[in-house]
Amino acid sequence: RRREAEDPLQLALLYFCQVEAGTPWKGNDVLEKHFEAVERVAFSRGLSPEGIEILLDFALGLRMGSKCGIRVLKCLIPASVIPESAVVKGVSWFCVGKMPPNMQIMFIRWFITMFDLIESKERLHSLYGFFFCFLSDENLCPYICHLLYLLTRRESEYSLVKPYRLRKLMNLQSKMGEQPFLMVLLSLYKVFCPEMVSLTIPARIKNGFKNYDSTWKNALSAVQKRNKAEIVMELQAAVSVRPQSASRKRKRNCHLSVPPLGSCAPPPGAREDGVLGSRVFPLEQLRTFPQLLQNIHLLELPAQMGSVLNSPLVLHYINCITDDSVFLRLDYWLGHALHEEFLFCKDTSYENNSEAIEFFSSLITAQQFLQEGFLSTEVFTLKFLRVWDGSLFRSQILSLLSYIPVIPCSDVKQLLFEPLIQLFFSCSLYFKCSVIECLNSMLVKWLTWHAVFASEDQFDMSISGHSPTNMSLSGIMSSVVELVEFVGRISTIALHMEGYNTLLLHFVLNFYETVCDMYVKYDFPLAIMPPAGVFYPALLSKDPVSVNQLCHIMFRYRVNLLSAKDPEKQGKKTFLVNSKTYRKYNQYVVAMVWCLWSSKAFMAGMEIEINPDLLAQAGVAEYRSTFNIVHHPALTGYAIDFFHKCWPESKQLNLSAIKQGRHWDWYLEYLFTQGFDGLREFIESSIRRLSGPAGLNSSRAK
Amino acid sequence: MDGQGSCIQTPGDPTFSSKGALSEVTKCRSAVRFRRSHGTGLTMRGYTPHHKVASMKISKNAQVLKRDFREKVDPEQISLLMKKEWKLFYVTPLYKFKHTQLKTYSKQLSAFIASEKQKGRAVEVGPETGFKVVFSIIFGLTETEEDTELVFIQIHSKPSFAAEGASDVVIWSGWLACINGNTEYLRAIPADFVCLPLFCASGAGSLTSLVKSWFETTFDCNFGQLRISPSNLHRLATMWTGCHPTVNIRYLKLSWTLPTCPPLDISYTVNPGDVSDLWSRICQGKDQVSSEVAKQFFQCLESHFFRHFRIHLSAGELTKVSTALGSAYRDGKIQFMNSDYMIDVLMLLTESALLMMPV
Repeated sequence: RRREAEDPLQLALLYFCQVEAGTPWKGNDVLEKHFEAVERVAFSRGLSPEGIEILLDFALGLRMGSKCGIRVLKCLIPASVIPESAVVKGVSWFCVGKMPPNMQIMFIRWFITMFDLIESKERLHSLYGFFFCFLSDENLCPYICHLLYLLTRRESEYSLVKPYRLRKLMNLQSKMGEQPFLMVLLSLYKVFCPEMVSLTIPARIKNGFKNYDSTWKNALSAVQKRNKAEIVMELQAAVSVRPQSASRKRKRNCHLSVPPLGSCAPPPGAREDGVLGSRVFPLEQLRTFPQLLQNIHLLELPAQMGSVLNSPLVLHYINCITDDSVFLRLDYWLGHALHEEFLFCKDTSYENNSEAIEFFSSLITAQQFLQEGFLSTEVFTLKFLRVWDGSLFRSQILSLLSYIPVIPCSDVKQLLFEPLIQLFFSCSLYFKCSVIECLNSMLVKWLTWHAVFASEDQFDMSISGHSPTNMSLSGIMSSVVELVEFVGRISTIALHMEGYNTLLLHFVLNFYETVCDMYVKYDFPLAIMPPAGVFYPALLSKDPVSVNQLCHIMFRYRVNLLSAKDPEKQGKKTFLVNSKTYRKYNQYVVAMVWCLWSSKAFMAGMEIEINPDLLAQAGVAEYRSTFNIVHHPALTGYAIDFFHKCWPESKQLNLSAIKQGRHWDWYLEYLFTQGFDGLREFIESSIRRLSGPAGLNSSRAK
Repeated sequence: MDGQGSCIQTPGDPTFSSKGALSEVTKCRSAVRFRRSHGTGLTMRGYTPHHKVASMKISKNAQVLKRDFREKVDPEQISLLMKKEWKLFYVTPLYKFKHTQLKTYSKQLSAFIASEKQKGRAVEVGPETGFKVVFSIIFGLTETEEDTELVFIQIHSKPSFAAEGASDVVIWSGWLACINGNTEYLRAIPADFVCLPLFCASGAGSLTSLVKSWFETTFDCNFGQLRISPSNLHRLATMWTGCHPTVNIRYLKLSWTLPTCPPLDISYTVNPGDVSDLWSRICQGKDQVSSEVAKQFFQCLESHFFRHFRIHLSAGELTKVSTALGSAYRDGKIQFMNSDYMIDVLMLLTESALLMMPV
């Protein structure tokens, strides 16, 4: 109760209820404060029925003059309904005749606008005669006509259409000429009592009643929309069905509204009382997952398939259905919406940005849920890529792109690479990173689909059609090769362009983490080594994370290549690795071991050979050891830290000391505790240590 | 039209008796597994900006074909499509549409319109108190096996203040058609769907949108505006001009909008004799109107204009072409004044409607 008393709206209503007539309004701060409270609530949530009654009585009673009255009328937006008593009281003030004409008009217009929200109209109908009297007022006449039009009705025993009223109307018409508002009222009279009206009425009357009060209507619809949304949001907490968009007035060419969930109309053949009809569980009533399970045999598909996008429960249902037309219907709708909105639409201002993002996010969620991309999205995304500027809806478009199923190798270049490459090289570093990430996730999906459907095929041939691609293994293989090589090319150039940026390198190495494990993880018989333009920048990087990641990748390559040599042991498909791949791998391993371990960087035999004179000119004393794990720019920090821990009293920094005796082993242990797991994997697998730090040997994969 | 000649049924063919036609329509097409399995084939088609565009052929013995078409289709029904200006739309395939249920659809749509008209806060003031919808089929307006019979819809109104005994007035009409659609595309659509990609409407916009929304909810399809591209306008103009030796086109009227400030509207009318002369010179040796021929034809017309007025028409946009046979607007409006070459135009429109299909 106390809280209620403190509510500014309640205080304001109390004030308006009790204020003495004749209180001055000019400079009245209390009044101003209460006005503001009322207006704030009125335009956000709308006013309660009691509030409307109090305020209407205050305004029309002219207790503080007409200016205040008009101000109140302007914000008289009901939250739900208007009590009839309030309007009747208002009408009686209206009939008193003290109101200035502009306020009279305003009241009648408010009345007309809010007509449908008045609780009941019984008593208003009995006031018909009063309103009729005001017809003779020239200013009020059009509005009164409209009001009478709304109030006129046919009653069996007592008709409101009377000969004397008709006579009055005809008189008015002869006086005022053929006014459209009079004609419309007359036409209604003619409909009810055709025998009384002999007048010929044109088939169509233009602008019978003007649609004036758009400010009230807009405010009203905004209030109603918000209230509805609140109710739905409360529901949503318990229920997973999303609210349907409540607004009827939309941008004319907006196609992004997901249709409401609704059952089909009963099939033309079935009777309304038919046996079939009663046994169907209506989709609109589906609220919970147990409900879905109990009624799954009674469900029928929605009338508009697009509606499933917003309903996770129905998505569950359609995922179980094998009917092809379900997805085709969805594709037609989705493709139409996407094309109309983003490709055919001429105005590209995208005012409805948030709407579009919401649409995309429900689309992406649905795709994630079904774990496959829709055909229509694929068609759209590939088309959109050609006109895309790379920034509009970036994350959404890239996310859609990553869901594109395997594109045949003959088309992948034209459809995907060409448009993408233009954007890739002309956009920022962050765009490059997100493209590489997107292609990585695309590759993962291609490999996963392949792995899932390839294994499914083995025991159930009948559903072999249900694979995201009905391509042969060699077809998929060549597409994957294309994709991996494409990423290799663009990342080589991009790394160079961006000055071997660490962030970009990280995304590129993430991609190769997927690539190196294709055989073991996804049973996909393919091994592709990263290009030198990726490998060496990572090896010589100043960033410890990249070096560690590279070591991990090389370790995984080793695991994959070794298991390819002995497929029976793993129970995997036979896989003949190209000897070039082995050679490349060995070259890389040699380079890594020489650089990181045996201090033989840039020696003849390494893939990158540098003229010793040139190296001498650089002025680095022991350049051969500059990239071993002690002196490597990415690891120096750790080496220094380790040195200080070992020789805390030493004033001179002598990193070479680490190489001596047991310190080397301790240094390695130290590095492994610092999280260099990739390095540990690499060293433990690829370096066979004979005796002590100097005697070591790199084991070759072949 | 030599190319299609073999597909046209002779009038004696039982397919075109009314009952036969229905069975023809509801025939089972080879169903294609669509879900998940359609990846590659459809992607390519969906993506490719132009399906293989069949070039429109106008045969030299057009007279024969014209007779064929007239015998096939009831001229009274054809006259329903004439004279009105049609607004063009494309429609995605209709799910579970059956030509045998037209009566039910008539009732449903009437009820739908009546209920929608009563909805809303403001009372709609107007004489249209009663609506009657009639669905019908215009038989024979098909070219290939895969085409579906044309569905014609009329909305009659019973005005409240009509004089006694006055008949209903047709206030809206529209139709859905597929004439010589891409066979490959149509065959790939499962049997549950009926592909009638072209929708033409004439009448109040409010009724058009009501009809559209009824179709959208009932057959889970979608409508979109079908604009006529400049190259299609070129082809229409070229096609109509090519008819001049057999049917008098009386004039060829072309309208351009040039992007000057303020925009400059140019109307260009050519004498039919001259333009037909030009046409026969360009089409020498060829008996079909391909896009290349149409392009060449327009280049000639434009260069002629340039010689006189020093204005490059190609810098502007062609907005309208018209002859005595009919007229077409860029914004997707068309009017047929003569039934003779209507079918060629409809073929062209079907083709461009199919190009708009999202998948």
